[in-house]
Amino acid sequence: MSATTATIPVPGAAAKPGGRVDEAIVSVRSLSKAFPVRRSWGEFLARPWRRPERVTVVDRVSFEVKSTEFFGLLGANGAGKTTLFRMLSTQLLPDSGTALVAGCDILRNPREVRERLTPVVADERSLNWRLTARENLELFAALYGVPRNQVRGRVTELLEAVELHEAGSKMVGTFSSGMKQRLLIARALLPRPRVLLLDEPTRSLDPISARRFRQFLREEIAGRQGCTVLLATHSAEEAFDLCDRVAVLDRGRLLAVGPVEALMGEVRDDRYRLTIRTAQVDTAVRTLDGSGLTEAQLLEGRGPEGWTVVELSIPGGPDGAADAVARLSRAGVDVAGVEHRALTLADLLERIVRMKAGAR
Amino acid sequence: MRSAIAMIRARWIAARSYRLRMIFSVASLLVSIVPLYFVANALQPIMAEKIAAEGGQYFGFLVVGMTTYLLLPVAVNALANEVGAGISTGVLEAILGTRSRLPGIFAGMIGFDLLWTGLRACIMLVTAWILGAAILWSQIGTALLILALIVLAYLPFGLIGSAMVIAFRTTGPLPQGVLTISALLGGVYYPTQVIPSWIESVSAFVPLTYGLRALRHTILEGLPLTAVLPDLGVLCVFVVVLMGVGAISIRGALAYARRAGTLSHY
Repeated sequence: MSATTATIPVPGAAAKPGGRVDEAIVSVRSLSKAFPVRRSWGEFLARPWRRPERVTVVDRVSFEVKSTEFFGLLGANGAGKTTLFRMLSTQLLPDSGTALVAGCDILRNPREVRERLTPVVADERSLNWRLTARENLELFAALYGVPRNQVRGRVTELLEAVELHEAGSKMVGTFSSGMKQRLLIARALLPRPRVLLLDEPTRSLDPISARRFRQFLREEIAGRQGCTVLLATHSAEEAFDLCDRVAVLDRGRLLAVGPVEALMGEVRDDRYRLTIRTAQVDTAVRTLDGSGLTEAQLLEGRGPEGWTVVELSIPGGPDGAADAVARLSRAGVDVAGVEHRALTLADLLERIVRMKAGAR
Repeated sequence: MRSAIAMIRARWIAARSYRLRMIFSVASLLVSIVPLYFVANALQPIMAEKIAAEGGQYFGFLVVGMTTYLLLPVAVNALANEVGAGISTGVLEAILGTRSRLPGIFAGMIGFDLLWTGLRACIMLVTAWILGAAILWSQIGTALLILALIVLAYLPFGLIGSAMVIAFRTTGPLPQGVLTISALLGGVYYPTQVIPSWIESVSAFVPLTYGLRALRHTILEGLPLTAVLPDLGVLCVFVVVLMGVGAISIRGALAYARRAGTLSHY
């Protein structure tokens, strides 16, 4: 574990029934990677022999993923998630450190690693759009070395698993983005990998398709297929919704790693938006401030005419929120609406950084 | 081998879905060969003496040169084009993530283009024969062997071009340079003996010079394989040396790309 990482305490293992959670199937050990910074033509011509500066994209990251776990890598763009995945899938060599996938070293046994771990290439263009879904899978079955006599059965099984069996003989070019994403996953599942890498799989999906896709990931991939899944995402909601444990990355550094429940508890997902009559905002803040119920903090004030939306941190979950509303009501404050505000990645990063500063 | 066949099959399925493109691809050959016939016949009196050692018929000489040259841009450009497209679409990343080995992957990437162009070359040859080109079909086996050696001698330029694409995203002037020099100095349109002496010495370094001479001796003159062994020997040296350079280039480029991260940067 990196010295700068906050490990969230584990209140009971995030075990799945029947899952062998104590066995680390992916072990990332102090992986680092830096890339040269591209120079302008002017800088290049002025000092052609000068070595370009390097920017560290992954900085001594260490964590372990247990067998059959759904593990999230959460971070903003540029956090180093994709670079980390590319190193794990042996497409990119680390500058230092290494990783083991099912006991195989990514540096010493890249071919063995590729037999155990499959990245889902999220780019839809990596499918052949002029081929049918079945033909696409048959092509990759050959590339993955699926035994000839098993290809037909395996392809049918996977088309059913990703709910594309009826569209199997249609050209992929006619598919929606959601269907293509599911086909990409089916393609990655062809060699029966023990570990699946998913890099922002819902980025091109609309919210409804994304929700259905997440349900599919949880039930089919993690559930029935029994894969260990590493999911890279910049959506805190997605990570918390899907994952057993989450690692939070920021500018290449691992900020925290731990079970979702523990992480949520530590960072307190307790933000609410209350719509209050503008004239009563001061009374409301005083009421809640004095009650000891909340870190009453006016974060934002905006709303329909005569009303103000106040963002507050109210501890205690839904019970705490209900209690706060009751107190406001007793104090004669009109509350037109209460909305729980989902924790954003920015909130999460800010709180973890604050939490770590507090720990020091 | 299985990977290569699967990739060729996939390319074939995709290609046949563009029906009009396939029809035009063949039709354009037929359209171009008719004017070639008339031009060759018009130049026959001038060229007859100069090509006496290579069949003596300028139309046949020209058709053999041009059908062979059809394959060269494929051998030199196809792999680099496929690799470049594969990087930008993520196909290369997906394929390299499988268990297939590099030779099989590369063979699959260019196999369809080579086979399709080979078929087009055959159609061109048959059409030329119908129009009167003096082609000796009994020598077709030897001719195919020589053709395969020519393609093998040019494939390494494709490997070097692909290595350049992987490392620097461009092939640079290499493919165009190789193709232009081969077309002008390799004896496609005229025998190398008619080239001014100092440039003729450059043609000694062009693999096509030896390949085309051997090909014409067999398929137009009917000489046996043993008669063209010296030319084939030189061609084999080109194949071995250039393949070595190509293999080293591609391995070096992949190693560089794995360090620099250019393998899958779009």
